[in-house]
Amino acid sequence: MRALVIDDSRTMRRIVAHTLEELGFSTVQAGDGQEALDVLESGDQVDLACIDWNMPVMDGLTFVTQVRSRQEWRSITLMMVTTESEHGQIVRALAAGAHEYLIKPFTPDAIRDKLDLLGLLPLEEPV
Amino acid sequence: MSLTRETFDFVADLVRRRSAIQLEPGKEYLVESRLLPLAREGGHSGVDAYVTSVRTGRREPDLVAVVEALTTNETSWFRDSTPFSALRTHMLPALRAERPVLDRLRVWSAACSTGQEPYSIAMTLAEILGPSTRTEIVATDLSDQVLNQAKEGRYSQLEVNRGLPAPMLVRHFRRSGADWQIAEELRRTITFQRHNLLDAPPLGPFDLVFLRNVLIYFDLATKRAILGRVHRVLRPGGFLVLGAAETTIGVDGDWERVPVARGSVYRPVHGGTAALPTPRTTATAPTFGVSRPAPTFPPATVNQGVSR
Amino acid sequence: MSIAVETDQVYAITHEVFGAMIDPEPGYLRPWEGELPAPVDPLAAWVDVHGELAGRAAVICETAAAHDLARALLRMEPGEEVTPADLVDAFGEVANVVGGNVKALLPSQGTLTLPQVAAAVPPAPAGAPVHELALDWRGHPLAVVVWLF
Repeated sequence: MRALVIDDSRTMRRIVAHTLEELGFSTVQAGDGQEALDVLESGDQVDLACIDWNMPVMDGLTFVTQVRSRQEWRSITLMMVTTESEHGQIVRALAAGAHEYLIKPFTPDAIRDKLDLLGLLPLEEPV
Repeated sequence: MSLTRETFDFVADLVRRRSAIQLEPGKEYLVESRLLPLAREGGHSGVDAYVTSVRTGRREPDLVAVVEALTTNETSWFRDSTPFSALRTHMLPALRAERPVLDRLRVWSAACSTGQEPYSIAMTLAEILGPSTRTEIVATDLSDQVLNQAKEGRYSQLEVNRGLPAPMLVRHFRRSGADWQIAEELRRTITFQRHNLLDAPPLGPFDLVFLRNVLIYFDLATKRAILGRVHRVLRPGGFLVLGAAETTIGVDGDWERVPVARGSVYRPVHGGTAALPTPRTTATAPTFGVSRPAPTFPPATVNQGVSR
Repeated sequence: MSIAVETDQVYAITHEVFGAMIDPEPGYLRPWEGELPAPVDPLAAWVDVHGELAGRAAVICETAAAHDLARALLRMEPGEEVTPADLVDAFGEVANVVGGNVKALLPSQGTLTLPQVAAAVPPAPAGAPVHELALDWRGHPLAVVVWLF
């Protein structure tokens, strides 16, 4: 499984990427929506994108809209990871095509739970 | 930081006497992490100092607080998503297939903690069953403190982040200050009551019993007794859902294990012969054949993701 | 103007941010007892909210404490050196997450600016803050300040 982590904060990218790597993902990072589109255009096959909302150049909502408009990127699971936490903002993101929504702050367990819901956790033996 | 032996033994003994829950050696980290917030709140330097003060003070509220901190499960919403997808794809279709009209469905959510499990069940039922099925969920826990939060249906940002699908969040919750408030329609389907698993069960019969991640704390005899009581209030053809790490096998023979997706659920049988696979009777065969070619249990599926 | 945001809510938000992302478990952030000492070498991080109801949320502490915060967020060893870029980014992100959640308390939908970090918060258009939380994080004094413009 491969994940694209999109956030203008390198701190946040590192936190999210680290959690995903512990769950068995390989990761690639981007600092804004445009950089993330460039990663996808380059042919990097990702299964999951974790997307911040507020970023310079291109924000996360625009990125989601762009990805959803492209047939060849249909299989990418899109999860917003953002401090935007109004009810209406979550509705907007889902309407634009995001599959899941994680509000900052979050614990690593919260990422794991979301991936479980999305069917993106590798099969593992119950402990 | 590590706990002294005295601290651990005192806490383990207190918790065992009050809740019958066993804290084996090796669970020091659990004691430490659960009690640290209480220690800090009380201005103590650490858990040892806090427990020493609880021990010497012997004040009932402190003792209760320690027991509650150790016995309260941290719960996520659709915790281990398997039981909820199994509810959708196996258990509800099975219950429907067995009755001409599924006009009433009763569920017991045992050890429900702060309510995430019964609300998750309620959300799933609301999605699948039409208004013609009256659903009743009885949610019980030992602790008044968690029941009060559960009844209120108000959760922090961190709590709604734990395994609640975003579409469910926007459909069933509204923001209330820094928290989220669950919809009144869902709250109405649930009755919360205090209950100790060591006592007589709530009034049955139930079609579904969720008893997850709690048997692990009890010794074998207590496990067997609890399963026996659950058996009595579960309707024939109903389902028992245990935690991912739990099973009736080797504990109590009056259950048939039904593999579902990535886990198992259990159906009550009689006579303690469940170790021998029961013949596929007409009662079970068509049940699992719903919209599937083979009239047997479906194989484990790998991808249990939400459909989209 | 009526207060749209309550002190308890700002405290609850800050508590959640620290308990989830900075500390291994809750309990390390508590109210500061008495008057918060004026920082000798302060560092401030803030975000602004634009919209019908506008405001600002800031986190202010000693620069040394900001280093500790950055190390905690980045899961670095105690004493490990934090680069200036990491310091600004990590400390700014604390203000961003606190500020984004404070924004959600406002009755109108606003937009959030990207976080900024400097030795002092620039003067706010509307003067006095509506909330000033005096906090103790692992012995460090730390202020969370909210203005509504």
